[in-house]
Amino acid sequence: MATITRSELLEQIVQTVYECAPDLEGKELTEDTVINTDTGVDSMGMTLIICRLEANLGVQIPQRQWKKLYTLGDVVDAFESRLK
Amino acid sequence: MRFDSFLNMFKYYADNGDGVALVYDDGDGKKEIRFSGLIDAVNARKAELAAAGKTSIGIFCSGKKDCIITIFAAVAAKMQVVMLDESLSDKVLAAQIQKADIDMLWADDEETVKDFEQYMNGGVEKDAGRILFFTSGTTSAAKAVVLTEQSLCASAYNGSQKLPLTADDTLLCVLPLSHVFGFVCSLLWGLSCGAKVALGRGTRQLMVDFDYFKPTAVSLVPMLLGFLLKNELLNAELNLILVGAGDCPDSLLEAVAAMGKRVCFGYGLTETSSGVAISVSGDVHAMEICPDDEIKIADDGEILIKAPTCMMQGYYKDDESTAAALKDGWLYSGDLGSFDSDGKLYITGRKKEILVLPTGTKIFLPEYEGAIAKALGNSELAVILLRGKPVLIIRESEDMSEELLTKVASVMRELPQSQRLSQVIFKQDPLPRTPTGKIKRWELQKTEEEKYGNNNEV
Repeated sequence: MATITRSELLEQIVQTVYECAPDLEGKELTEDTVINTDTGVDSMGMTLIICRLEANLGVQIPQRQWKKLYTLGDVVDAFESRLK
Repeated sequence: MRFDSFLNMFKYYADNGDGVALVYDDGDGKKEIRFSGLIDAVNARKAELAAAGKTSIGIFCSGKKDCIITIFAAVAAKMQVVMLDESLSDKVLAAQIQKADIDMLWADDEETVKDFEQYMNGGVEKDAGRILFFTSGTTSAAKAVVLTEQSLCASAYNGSQKLPLTADDTLLCVLPLSHVFGFVCSLLWGLSCGAKVALGRGTRQLMVDFDYFKPTAVSLVPMLLGFLLKNELLNAELNLILVGAGDCPDSLLEAVAAMGKRVCFGYGLTETSSGVAISVSGDVHAMEICPDDEIKIADDGEILIKAPTCMMQGYYKDDESTAAALKDGWLYSGDLGSFDSDGKLYITGRKKEILVLPTGTKIFLPEYEGAIAKALGNSELAVILLRGKPVLIIRESEDMSEELLTKVASVMRELPQSQRLSQVIFKQDPLPRTPTGKIKRWELQKTEEEKYGNNNEV
């Protein structure tokens, strides 16, 4: 797969959040966005988002790492390290 | 049928038709294992464990076939078996491993075992025969409930009497086995009835497992039920859904009933090896008491439970907490309830300072709020449940929002997703308090529910 920059990765993650949680569309989401507090996405919603990202990006994040995802920046880190 | 051991349960069904016990797919297609095959696999693993000479095994409960065989084998080998929840933070898991005197670890992958081996210690006495489930606390202070193979078999018997399954049924196992509701109601209930138990393939396959295994029965926590309904994932063959481990909104129960599926609600605690009351017909909130159990309501409305065959032995190495919870054989549940004129039990609220999430996990508020207060240096706060999610109410200027979230991040990062705060509500005035100085949490709950909507949705 072609190299993807960090900002492109964040953009893809944000688009996936919008797809999975349409209520959030239009809300500014950044690397500092706290998933639970700022988006209201719950654990099942998060599962949906990660599974969709895994399918789109062609890599898997070990489930042991899922619990460490607190901000969208953490999600970017997790995928970025797998895509290298 | 009553059984006094897991192996006797399997032997009975191996000798009577030898039907399929487990259906699973570890990545190379759907496979089955019959009750006789399950016995062989458990005995082979038991021999391996015995050869290792260890006494207390911590098992990371993935729910896969190998994990289940290891649990049954370790129990058969009379080890102390500690059920570990992979979704907890590394810090909490390390504390649990130390607390339970674990001298052997088992996980699907070697990496996990290696990461936690450093926290193991000297083990326990030989042939302890205990099964430890941690109550779903939010920090390392969670208590370990001591159950036995006999108490879990008795609990499965209760389920099988109230909601019998047959060899033609397939029970889909999608709940974590590290929680007693998952272990008893999504695994043992099926096996004790001689039904097939299909092992869910994990979170990634949750969206397709119902269509793949075509179960006729399933046990779910409210949040999972809500997710499955929203995404229309329940298969046509599914005709029985047992919901438990937390309050279930009427809207979900009505949605299931509208699909023509039978929905039952179960009430129980880790301390009682799972369910002590189940609704089997009519009003889904009206529960019948299970055969081996006795329930009475204390003067203050608290539900007291006597369950001789299912009751815990106590909290592991915590006589003080055991004595506080168990008095004269009665378990003080911390839940409030009432009986109707037909003797059916209704849950009406909670006495203890606990929030029960739609995932079935519990938040012990003094501990949870204490950790937040410490991080913020501000104890003028309370945590309530709004729309199934924890919400912080704090007396603080809204301008402090960003700084507050930064400070509280260290606490939240240690928690599973479902237990993290979903919202912060800022108050300018002092929070309401009782004459003894305690924050009136339930007054805050009522006020905010009126503003933001009630808990009748997940």
